[in-house]
Amino acid sequence: MSDGPDSGRPAFTLVEVPQATEDPAQDDMAALFSAPVQDGTRRKGDIFRPGPGPMVEFRGVTKTYQGNSRGLDDVSLRIGTGEFVFLVGPSGSGKSTFIRLIIRELRPTEGSVIVGGRELGELRRGKVPYLRRAIGCVFQDFRLLPDRTAAENVAYALQVTGHKKAEVRRRVPEILSLVGLDGKYDRLPRELSGGEQQRVSIARALVNHPRLLIADEPTGNLDPETSLGIMDLLLRINRTGTTVLVATHDRHTVDRMQMRVIALQEGRVVRDEESSGYHDRTGEVPA
Amino acid sequence: MRIGMFFREALRSIRANAAISVAATVTALIAVFILGAFIPSFMYVRSAVDSQKAKVDVDVYIADTASVAQVNSLRDRLNGLRTDGTVAEVTYVSKEDALRIMRERLRDPSVLDELPSNPLPAKFNVRPTDAENADVIVAAVKDDPALDPTEGIVYPESTADRLLTAAKFVQWAGFVLIGILLLAAVLLIGNTIRLSIFARRREVEVMRLVGATNWFIRWPFMIEGVICGLVGAVVAVGMLWGIKVGVVDAWAAGADSALTKTGSAAGTIAFPMLTLVLVGAGALLGAIGSGITLRRFLKV
Repeated sequence: MSDGPDSGRPAFTLVEVPQATEDPAQDDMAALFSAPVQDGTRRKGDIFRPGPGPMVEFRGVTKTYQGNSRGLDDVSLRIGTGEFVFLVGPSGSGKSTFIRLIIRELRPTEGSVIVGGRELGELRRGKVPYLRRAIGCVFQDFRLLPDRTAAENVAYALQVTGHKKAEVRRRVPEILSLVGLDGKYDRLPRELSGGEQQRVSIARALVNHPRLLIADEPTGNLDPETSLGIMDLLLRINRTGTTVLVATHDRHTVDRMQMRVIALQEGRVVRDEESSGYHDRTGEVPA
Repeated sequence: MRIGMFFREALRSIRANAAISVAATVTALIAVFILGAFIPSFMYVRSAVDSQKAKVDVDVYIADTASVAQVNSLRDRLNGLRTDGTVAEVTYVSKEDALRIMRERLRDPSVLDELPSNPLPAKFNVRPTDAENADVIVAAVKDDPALDPTEGIVYPESTADRLLTAAKFVQWAGFVLIGILLLAAVLLIGNTIRLSIFARRREVEVMRLVGATNWFIRWPFMIEGVICGLVGAVVAVGMLWGIKVGVVDAWAAGADSALTKTGSAAGTIAFPMLTLVLVGAGALLGAIGSGITLRRFLKV
């Protein structure tokens, strides 16, 4: 693990309630992201266009599936660089469609999706992998490879993006330590708890230094205590300048963190508030 | 580093999906084995047909009454066919030679002593470069005044025609059969790779998620297909070697073997060359089979 200024205490605890106070571990996290994220320079292979614009922009996006069911209906919004945003709404409200449009697993029926200054409709197919390298993804079901250890799962993301062996060997323990998995590098996913598996998955998403981290129901399979730890980790990642988008229906987490909340219902944005909770101020269901 | 990783991934996948990989390997084995058995058999039949075709001679008989000038003119016409490549060789067989040959062939040559004079005509023995040219030779000299009126021109017309038809049939049947076999092998390996893609869909999903390029995802599957094709080919070559040494060589070694009488081993492919062709075919089958499947089922 890379020791911070006061290495006497652990980098952070698993169930730390997120607070805006200064946190020594923050220095570790920032130090690991060797290239400052906000300086406007481009990293090698980076397809994002530097600039002051938003990280994600939807312009009148409609996604219609076969059989005329609507995934999204005329959605326009912006998510600024460095923001932490919750995307809430019941099942089938369009959260997954929203996320899949950003990583270009889907293409909009109408309107345009702009990520990191790139209009995804104009992105050539061969460039899509480079888009995904700039975006880290975390899912409810972790999507770890079951026959590989925690370290191998993380190393995989680096190998796939063409990193040298020495760099893989250096970065994997760093990032695993960062997400709080010291001493568990050689465990297979089935030997880890749900929270630990999700940490491996976050480490994998982070290891390529994404500008944007997307988490789709990251705490959906976890108990409340573990969920807190995961949300804390996401918040720390956000503090390094990474834009974080979390789709969730975990009401407690959203209420406690008081971040920007975008509520979807039947494919439409029904609420978009700064420093909000899962429900709107009248206490209604997210609508 | 990358190539090493691709190989490790391919081997990992083969281990993880052992049953599927074995199925692909066995498919390649069968296809390559049949191909390997067919190529020498086909070439043997061809060589047998060729050696029969080489025996198709045209005998042009000369009238006893023909003058020396007429005989010379006939010889010139036949030799003229040599220059345009129709005829390989023209041999003059005199009346005396014909009688001597007859004498050698007869069990009781003394009957010939009873003859008042030599009844056998002289002839030109004409060997065409190709059996198909026999007709051209006949057409060229059939009105020659030097021809013997009773014997004329003699050549084994029906034998030549039958051989030619058989040779063409063998050739086309061979091409069609080999084509069908290769297609079947490619489709079966392709199907195996599809199962492998399905078995590893989670890994493929993760690869896409972390931004692997299309070819990065494809390479391990390509290598997997090629390894299956290669291993199948090597085993098939081993089996063919066993059959060659144990059965074919023993059969050919028999003194009056029909095998050595009708064709020749020299006319078929040498075993090291066959090995090379089959191993190459195995690798190619694997590559094409997985390539086609990847194009269809691994869209990013």
